[in-house]
Amino acid sequence: MSSASTGTAPSQELVLGFLRKDHIQRYSTLVVLVLMFVIFAATVDRFLQPQNLLNIAQQISILTIVGVGLTFGFAAREMDLSVGFAVGLAGILVPLLLTKDVALPLALLAGVGAGLVIGGINAVLVTIIGIPSLIATLATASILFGISFLLTGGRAIYGGLPEAYLWLGQGRIGGFPVLAMLMLIAVALAWFVMERTVFGRYIYAVGGNRKAAELSGINVRFYRIAALVVCSVFATVAGMLLASRLGSGQPNAGERYLLDGLATVFIGMTMLRPGTSTVVGTFFGALFIGIINNGLNLLGMDTYIQSIVKGIIILTAVAIVSRTTKLNLL
Amino acid sequence: MIAMDTRLTDITMQFPGTRALDNVSVTFRRDEVHGLIGENGAGKSTLVNVLGGSLQPTSGRIAIADKELKLKSPRDALLRGIAHVSQEGSLVQALSGAGNILLGAEPRTAGVIAQGRLKTEAAALVKRWFPQVSIDLDEPVGSLPMADRKVIEIVRALRGDVRLLILDEPTATLPAREKEQLWAIIRGLPKQGVGVILISHFLSEIKALSDRITVLRDGRHVVTEKAVDLSESQLVDLMLRRSGDTASKAQTEKTRATGDVVLRIAGWKAGRIEVPQFEIRAGEIVGLIGLTGSGHFGFARSLYNPAGVTCTTCEVGGSAVALHKTLTMRDAGVALVPDHRMENALIGEWSLRENLAMVHPQHAVVTTGVLSRRREEAEAQRVMRLMNVKAHSSAQELKTLSGGNKQKISIGKWLYGAQDRYRVMIFIEPTEGVDIGAKAEIYAEMRRLAGQGVGIVIASSDLIEIETMADRVVPFVDQTARPELARPQFSESAFIGAMSGVAA
Repeated sequence: MSSASTGTAPSQELVLGFLRKDHIQRYSTLVVLVLMFVIFAATVDRFLQPQNLLNIAQQISILTIVGVGLTFGFAAREMDLSVGFAVGLAGILVPLLLTKDVALPLALLAGVGAGLVIGGINAVLVTIIGIPSLIATLATASILFGISFLLTGGRAIYGGLPEAYLWLGQGRIGGFPVLAMLMLIAVALAWFVMERTVFGRYIYAVGGNRKAAELSGINVRFYRIAALVVCSVFATVAGMLLASRLGSGQPNAGERYLLDGLATVFIGMTMLRPGTSTVVGTFFGALFIGIINNGLNLLGMDTYIQSIVKGIIILTAVAIVSRTTKLNLL
Repeated sequence: MIAMDTRLTDITMQFPGTRALDNVSVTFRRDEVHGLIGENGAGKSTLVNVLGGSLQPTSGRIAIADKELKLKSPRDALLRGIAHVSQEGSLVQALSGAGNILLGAEPRTAGVIAQGRLKTEAAALVKRWFPQVSIDLDEPVGSLPMADRKVIEIVRALRGDVRLLILDEPTATLPAREKEQLWAIIRGLPKQGVGVILISHFLSEIKALSDRITVLRDGRHVVTEKAVDLSESQLVDLMLRRSGDTASKAQTEKTRATGDVVLRIAGWKAGRIEVPQFEIRAGEIVGLIGLTGSGHFGFARSLYNPAGVTCTTCEVGGSAVALHKTLTMRDAGVALVPDHRMENALIGEWSLRENLAMVHPQHAVVTTGVLSRRREEAEAQRVMRLMNVKAHSSAQELKTLSGGNKQKISIGKWLYGAQDRYRVMIFIEPTEGVDIGAKAEIYAEMRRLAGQGVGIVIASSDLIEIETMADRVVPFVDQTARPELARPQFSESAFIGAMSGVAA
């Protein structure tokens, strides 16, 4: 019916108006981000100190890596609700192996391997058995949660973790956190793959119009599988880094990365290419969440308030995306 | 009776790029079956959608019982007594006939559906309208014969106080013996004060059932006459354009040089679709025609994506192709430009460049899998010039283009980076929703491709398009390819005859 109401040919004026509206939409989130930064800078004493800014960078690193993984999933129009517990599982699996004297490279490989397995299982459920990803990954999330607690008996794992491992999450090179560097590498790599390779193009095609992708000769199933696997691998990598940063493996530490990770993607979808998840958009989304968390922390707000604020931000972002584009996740 | 008419005056419906209805005025009465005919794209669906409240006309007036009003939504139209039974059917397969008839108006006892009353009320409704009909209302409709399902849909539509019932191709999905049953039902309705607007591809059906017939052509009202005053051949003449297109036709009258066989198949079975034999030579243009659901589109699609197809012979470019994977035909050199381009071919939010590069992005690859923007841009520019795409840059979002330019991109996808690898190109409804100028350009491009030795298949419901473009035509009836028509035999009436299974 909307096609009927826009029946007349658009005049020059309308086209210009449309472009303006388009730009407002594309950049409004960035403007809000900058405004927020300025307000915190003006009102919170320690906010602008270099040490705090580096803190923010470190704080958002793990979240960004989870969000970037989700970006691949969303780009192929697959939702992965198991990332939170995938973070948690890797975050205890790797420390557990390390305390059992497994060599560090092997333990890290095991973490990546766990991501491949989790992603592989999700992909089989979604693309071969045909369960919508939203539901399949909700179930695997529950399974991963159970496994994490079985592995540890619900206790945290700490002590005896090698220095080299802890350096990944806590070390600094010339004052700059290693973790933040790893994040930047992950973002750059993911951006390159999504924006500059055939692989990324095909993932976007599968999410953009599955039928058209299929009729263009793209192996839709392969790219859906790939997107889900990348999603889980990024989550387990984030999990290993999380345990390193915390200096211990905690079975429920990953939980909050699901909601926060989704938030980064949704915020990212409001900018650049509205309605489409992009790596850079997700990075800004993580920055958004990081700055709010940090600012509210410094203001002494307790975590409950932060949680409420975050919920409102997610709703706002999703509302913008749903109202302006066709957001179809199931 | 006049006071009970539904009157449309000067209805115009403007879509971006096309005018689907142009000052159409018709009056529908409560005591008649009113046949509505015209080719695909003549404006029948638009007209009934305006009447059914699904579309709001750009201009024009609607009056019911001499009272002017607006039909804002299908619900609004229903409240005014206009019900629409669409072609596809809108029944809930898992519910019983009774449940479907009273869907949304179930009798309740304390909020719970009263199953007993549901059955008796539904049965009473069926009896009131069609006392001669007996249907098992307890069965899930999914297991009922097609004619019974149609009756259930009609009864549901008649639930309220209906003055006008729109029936869109009611018999299209029905086997022959069930059609007769439905005919009797349709004819009975005006006697009970329900006017019927009947849309059908079958002229004999329109002729047999209608009291009056309205013919539309290119969105314009051609004539409204008593059915007894019009013969079937007169109707065909009225439906079809008899002027124009002569220049383009003359162009194809020249015998085109054809080359080797580029596609040969035999014993082709794709689901219910059967094609005993089909071949196409380099440079040939073959048309596929048929009524809705007769298998010509399905066959065209199966040539590109042969998943589930079995055959005795399948050769592309002289070498046998084994149909074990969905992409084997594409890899052997078969391309498909599908119908419904926004659903099947294009991504609205992408740039033109990205859309064009969808099939062969590898063209712009510099090292393993890495794309060069510059090479992609250059190739996109080449295809856009070749196809004469009107856009300000290749970075423009696809969805902002007109229908014709979108279609050019949909075709251009197969020319981008392809280096003439396609020997057969299949077009389904190549000019649906395309303005006349772009249409001519698309035809010219097909001819250019044929001239280069590509075998072209066009599956279309636009018979003029087929007559203009094709060297020979394969009609499909009931999922099966029938003997083909050669160019000297071409005429719209020959096509219509072949499509409805009547030997020419």
